[in-house]
Amino acid sequence: MGVAIYQTPLYESQQHDYLELLALCGLRDEGDADAVALATDERGILTGCGALAGHTVKQLAVTPDAEGQGVMASVLSALIGEAHARGEHRLFLCTRPDNVKMFSSMGFYTVISTADALLMENRRDGLEDYLSSLPRYKGVCGAVVCNCDPFTLGHRHLIEYAASQCDHLYVFAVSESGSMFTPPERLEMIQRGTEDIPDCHVFESNLYLVSRATFPAYFIRDEERADLVKSDIDIELFGARIAPALNITKRFVGEEPYSPVTKAYNERMKELLPEHGITICEIPRYEGISAGKVRSLLLEGDMESVREMVPETTYEIIQRKSRAGA
Amino acid sequence: MEIKKTAVAGTLESSDCMVTIEPSAKGLELDLESAVIRQYGKRIAEVAMETLGRLGVENARVSIVDKGALDCTIKARVECAVMRSAEYEGRIGWGGVIK
Repeated sequence: MGVAIYQTPLYESQQHDYLELLALCGLRDEGDADAVALATDERGILTGCGALAGHTVKQLAVTPDAEGQGVMASVLSALIGEAHARGEHRLFLCTRPDNVKMFSSMGFYTVISTADALLMENRRDGLEDYLSSLPRYKGVCGAVVCNCDPFTLGHRHLIEYAASQCDHLYVFAVSESGSMFTPPERLEMIQRGTEDIPDCHVFESNLYLVSRATFPAYFIRDEERADLVKSDIDIELFGARIAPALNITKRFVGEEPYSPVTKAYNERMKELLPEHGITICEIPRYEGISAGKVRSLLLEGDMESVREMVPETTYEIIQRKSRAGA
Repeated sequence: MEIKKTAVAGTLESSDCMVTIEPSAKGLELDLESAVIRQYGKRIAEVAMETLGRLGVENARVSIVDKGALDCTIKARVECAVMRSAEYEGRIGWGGVIK
């Protein structure tokens, strides 16, 4: 009996047993795991599993035969150890809502729960602490959540319009890493690129909005499975916890003709957010500019075209980065 | 001992506890989660604080998820987490600070 950590991809036979166990427990492999913990019994048969994807523990399962033997405790302990070894100290955990009691006794605290999913984190009052660190404003408050990799004239247009439609605008910069520009670079681009817009306030989203924990599909970018995209956790977390705390009643999004994943996310927001009293405003894309296009142009080295699509402040940061990298 | 980085020791298995220690500037903060917190919560906190005191830890955020660990286990896990988070590489003070 024991638990071992394996780096992905797994060996074929292991992968086969792992997928079978997940299916048995009504789960599927989301394909973004960095490491997998597998528990086996004395006969070498798989009894439990779990995955670590960045800062998120998920796909936790134990065979019905092995329940009540502490297999989950061993699997989770191994994954937590692996996460710390990788420098991930702040952890999220995704599971089914009926597991809340088990994981509460293992040091995880509920962030948000939907009908079929539960998001927890390894810090008591993590979300409350984050929300109380943000300022409150009077009047009509709106929100924009953006990745801005990099910050383009399209983002600028969206934010400028959104700010004109409310008294105060919260701009949440996606704090997940793993894209072309680092989270601090993107935050700086947004801050400097919106400095002159009155009553526009830029904050880090602190992994509570569009992160690998709340909306993994956004980072997996498996466009063919866009119909399977699960973004309810992210939308509920915004609608039920973040927006009410900050008195946000409008959420602004850019129309998404390119990415099926983002498009599905926008559509789902239109379904779920009105239930929380939040109006969703979709703005047509500005002159066909997208951050994805800018990234391709950057890779091609076409700086002239890049310059036409981004604010001067973003261009400066791009140049600074390329100088530092050269 | 100065806490330089976040470190963890122990497991969530039965009769064990998982201790996480993080750097902090605000003295000692202890967060305890235990199924037997009403029976033994005070004692667990006492053992943890005593151990931290002996190791000269003045500033840290300490979280203990207890799964029914005995005093000696709690003490050992706290010591181990402190050594790891202080990046301690010298000789361990067996019989001295660790006794």
